Amino acid sequence: MGARIPDTHAEAWSLLPWLANGRIAAEEREWVDAHIQSCAECRAELAQQQRVATQMSTDGAARAESGSDEQRSFNKLWARIEASEAAAPAAQIVSAGGSRAPRMVRWLAAAVIVQAVALGVLVYAALSGGSAAADKFITVTSVTPRMGLRADAPAVRVVFAPGASIDTINTLLTHQGLQIVDGPGTAGNFTAALLPDAVASGASAESVASVMSKDPNVRFAQPVAR
Amino acid sequence: MALKSVDTASLRAPAPTTDASERELLERISKARDQAAFRALYGNYYQRLSRLLARMSVRREDIEEVINDTFWVVWTKAGDFRGASQLSTWIIGIAYRRALNALRRAKLRPVADSEFDEDSISVESTEEEETNQQWLSLGLERLPVEQRMALELTYTLGHSCEEVARILDCPVNTVKTRLFRARETLKQVLPGLAGMHGDR
Repeated sequence: MGARIPDTHAEAWSLLPWLANGRIAAEEREWVDAHIQSCAECRAELAQQQRVATQMSTDGAARAESGSDEQRSFNKLWARIEASEAAAPAAQIVSAGGSRAPRMVRWLAAAVIVQAVALGVLVYAALSGGSAAADKFITVTSVTPRMGLRADAPAVRVVFAPGASIDTINTLLTHQGLQIVDGPGTAGNFTAALLPDAVASGASAESVASVMSKDPNVRFAQPVAR
Repeated sequence: MALKSVDTASLRAPAPTTDASERELLERISKARDQAAFRALYGNYYQRLSRLLARMSVRREDIEEVINDTFWVVWTKAGDFRGASQLSTWIIGIAYRRALNALRRAKLRPVADSEFDEDSISVESTEEEETNQQWLSLGLERLPVEQRMALELTYTLGHSCEEVARILDCPVNTVKTRLFRARETLKQVLPGLAGMHGDR
């Protein structure tokens, strides 16, 4: 039997919760075990506390949030982080050091390529649009009406995975009926709007963001509040 | 008659990822700003924090905010964690303090120890409850939040007395006292604990 303390029963009584959960310190376990072998009151209390622990675990599990809530919550948090870091001065972001600066460079390079592809598509559309279109000036500000996008079109904010190729990104955007309308932000985030056909077929910013957020080529996707 | 002193493995919360592997995730977050590591760590704690905050009576709509505020701190302060304590006690401690703030903001903070009126417990009001679970939920709601958290951290999350003290930022003896009082209060509220369902 281990060393005795002045009031063994009272001290053992106070430690029963950690005997019940298995986390009592080794040096205390010995003498508390020895005490409860000879103390009916402590044995009964230990049994009661074990029952409370079991019930609390069961009840706690029932209260826990679901897995889908977890992903949704994380998406919100990540959007907050992205927004915060996008708002930080660019110089500060670059000087944060480590692996961040190369990542930013990769994002900016990817963004330039995506924009070039988008402009190519626009030019092709303009040139192949027939004589009626040929005599129109295509400007950056006329892009949105030319593509049939409304200013209030449902949109998502998206950050693509670092390894995603341009072809992959284009395919992803096409499948979802999305058109990049803004970006990249300093955190590599783009804004993509739903094309009218996609909206007509029932797509929403929420549904598209949900699908995209599960795609391994997408780091983050969230509906843009309108 | 020898009572097996400890047979409680099943009472513990699902075994958390080891502290060492969680520290590795934190290092990846700190040094590489690794989103996958951050997501994994978030997943390790989401369920645990959800149930803890629900037990603290944090409103359902505020639980997500408290969890995300907590992990905002983890993301921004990952490099500051020095490892003096377990990572779990650091994270859960942050969540606990954020939750207290949320409760204050919502003006729903349960009564503190010093304000608790044990005469307010009504045994009669629970007589219609049908199961032990309902009895327990009702009993826990009657406890001051500090006592309830000591119980929750010990029984549901399986923390040691020392870890509970770090999370709640109080002395070890205070934890013991809170649990002692919680147990006594529950016995008054939960007559079922006094020996029903053949616990002898």
